[in-house]
Amino acid sequence: MREPTFLILTALAGGPRHGYGIIREVTTLSEGRVTLLPGTLYTALDRLTAQGHVAHDRDETVDGRLRRYYRLTPDGRRALEVETVRLRQLATAAETRLGALRPRTA
Amino acid sequence: MPPTGDPLARRYRRLLLGYPRAWRRARSEEMVAVLLDAAAPGRTRPTVREAVNLLRHGLRARLGRPDSRSVVAWAALAAVICGLFSAALATWVAWQTARPLPGRAETAALVAEVLPGYDLGNVQPGSALFTFYTQPLRPRNLDSLLLGDGGEYQQGATVAGATGRPPASQQEMLALAQRRLGETGWRVYAPHVVPEVTCTANGCTPTGGPSDVSLAARRGDTGLQLWLPGKPSIDNTYLTVSLSRPAPPAALPAGIAAGLLGAVAGWFVFGWASRRTTRPHPAANGVIVLYAFTMLLWCAPVVLAAPSLLRHHRDEPHPVWHPLWEWLGQPGLSLFFVVGALCALSGLVLATAPRRDTDPLRSTAVG
Repeated sequence: MREPTFLILTALAGGPRHGYGIIREVTTLSEGRVTLLPGTLYTALDRLTAQGHVAHDRDETVDGRLRRYYRLTPDGRRALEVETVRLRQLATAAETRLGALRPRTA
Repeated sequence: MPPTGDPLARRYRRLLLGYPRAWRRARSEEMVAVLLDAAAPGRTRPTVREAVNLLRHGLRARLGRPDSRSVVAWAALAAVICGLFSAALATWVAWQTARPLPGRAETAALVAEVLPGYDLGNVQPGSALFTFYTQPLRPRNLDSLLLGDGGEYQQGATVAGATGRPPASQQEMLALAQRRLGETGWRVYAPHVVPEVTCTANGCTPTGGPSDVSLAARRGDTGLQLWLPGKPSIDNTYLTVSLSRPAPPAALPAGIAAGLLGAVAGWFVFGWASRRTTRPHPAANGVIVLYAFTMLLWCAPVVLAAPSLLRHHRDEPHPVWHPLWEWLGQPGLSLFFVVGALCALSGLVLATAPRRDTDPLRSTAVG
């Protein structure tokens, strides 16, 4: 799973969000490192919808602008859990090796 | 989406034209709203980053592979190569509008004008504008043309030579020709000097002996090449004049128009095959392999021929440029082109195989 996909699923794990809401949440989650552009976001949303990981939730109109909300599906939640476990395992393995590299104190 | 007077929204909507119509119908209102929400207050134009992002993803969706990072580049390659070969074919057709090569009388008149007092009685009129082993190309030559002898299909020329004892030195003949060509309205290029060399397995080195000199000139639709060998040739020729035709005026517009049409056709055919063969298509892998072979077989001659022809053009003056197809390695490597065309046709036939999914339009509609 690519990082933007992981961040989009993580953003939706907090509840249904519209497109701009997902972009802001991804920026927050990545501490400003990842700024999704709408073209990238909607390509990912199309793919995640086709895979059944994300579903359309509802539509709202605010200041004359359409806001379409998306939510995480049970399949999407499972995919996020699997990826989280995988990343945690990798991070733990890296931390263990790095810990072994640190100079030992007397 | 309802019309709006907001120029930023209008410009965003214009950028969304890269996406397929079905996608725009489903998504454009929502997408424009997100873009406007994300835009800094007071901005009236999309940023370059946004524009590139929308065009890139729109074209990927249009080509049926929204997740592919390279599909646009592959489509562009197909468009460029199809455009080049279409342009080359059109220029070849346009060449048929050129005047025939100068005959004996016209050649004699030109020589008398440029080199008064010289007898170039030995005139050999060119048999055609383009010849295969100095003869017009005939259908029975096509197998030889394809199987290794394509390089012999070259521009024809009417050649006149003077033999015997030179009446003047090489430099005197060159100076006379330069002066007369200038006086009679020819555009005269700088003389090209080819030193006499001796060659071994380690390369060629100048001997210091007399150099061959050539002089190129052009007037109207006639190109002239004067050849003054440093030493008389085996048949005592000390002066040769060859006359050829430059590309006719129709070649440039025909090449540009056909190049653009070919590029557009290449893009659309690639897009059709790309959309058609998104998985689960039974021949998806086969079509990709055939596409790769086609591009290899079509691009390799261009990559091989164009740089060497460019060096050749830089090395010596050219009143008459080599025709476009020679820059594409044709017909010297025409076998590559023909096999590539067969690969392309096979790929397109495979792409027509029925898809495995029940709704073949799903992937293209969603983009």
